[in-house]
Amino acid sequence: MKRIIYPTDDGGVAVIVPSAEYLADHTIEELAEKDVPDGKAYQIIDETDVPSDRTFRNAWEYS
Amino acid sequence: MASEVKANKWSPGTGVAGTLGDSGDTFTVPSGATLAVASGATIANSGTATGFSEAAYAANASASTGAVNVDASNNLQFNSGYGSTATAYGCRAWVNFNGSGTPAIRDSGNVSSITDNGTGNYDVNFSSAMPDANYVISGVSGESGGMANHRTVSVYNDALQTTYCEIKVGGATSTHYDDSIILIAVFR
Repeated sequence: MKRIIYPTDDGGVAVIVPSAEYLADHTIEELAEKDVPDGKAYQIIDETDVPSDRTFRNAWEYS
Repeated sequence: MASEVKANKWSPGTGVAGTLGDSGDTFTVPSGATLAVASGATIANSGTATGFSEAAYAANASASTGAVNVDASNNLQFNSGYGSTATAYGCRAWVNFNGSGTPAIRDSGNVSSITDNGTGNYDVNFSSAMPDANYVISGVSGESGGMANHRTVSVYNDALQTTYCEIKVGGATSTHYDDSIILIAVFR
């Protein structure tokens, strides 16, 4: 499963988790166009690239 | 050829089915006239005929007249224990997701995705937008391990948007938490 990441206004990173129902009829790129805020750069990455340890979740940065 | 035929009853011949006219013919029931179909009769659609409207509800021998209705504004109305036939307000979106570890959606309806904004902070993104931001959400959250922490799902002034709603999962203090069970329903 893929994830979409984009930088937040406060310097952090947001991670979009797709629903299976939406991906049944749309691509991950279409989802990014819909759910990433206008004007934000984004990347599509593998789920495994997102850390599962969320101890310092609010300190994550977009790169 | 007679321009008008008056008869009290038309019947097909014995052992055959009656037919009205031929392909291309038009039969008109004038305004003010009534074409009455008696109880127990059947109008059969061959499967390809057009012009048949969808029934507002499936006929049920035990249902009272008007128990289910679609009003002039296309609102679905039904009784179903209300005591009267009234508009039913549906759940327009719902999602059951895990907000801890690697967040994931277990199942959903009209939800394209969730956005993990940070600890205990998520957006629920709608597949089809709400007509306005005056909707209601209902949410609960928790951990599978027990009731040690009583947490609430909260929203803020600008949290309700037509395309998404932002929720925060918090405890007794202002601390936010990544709960493993987060359940959200949206009504409008």
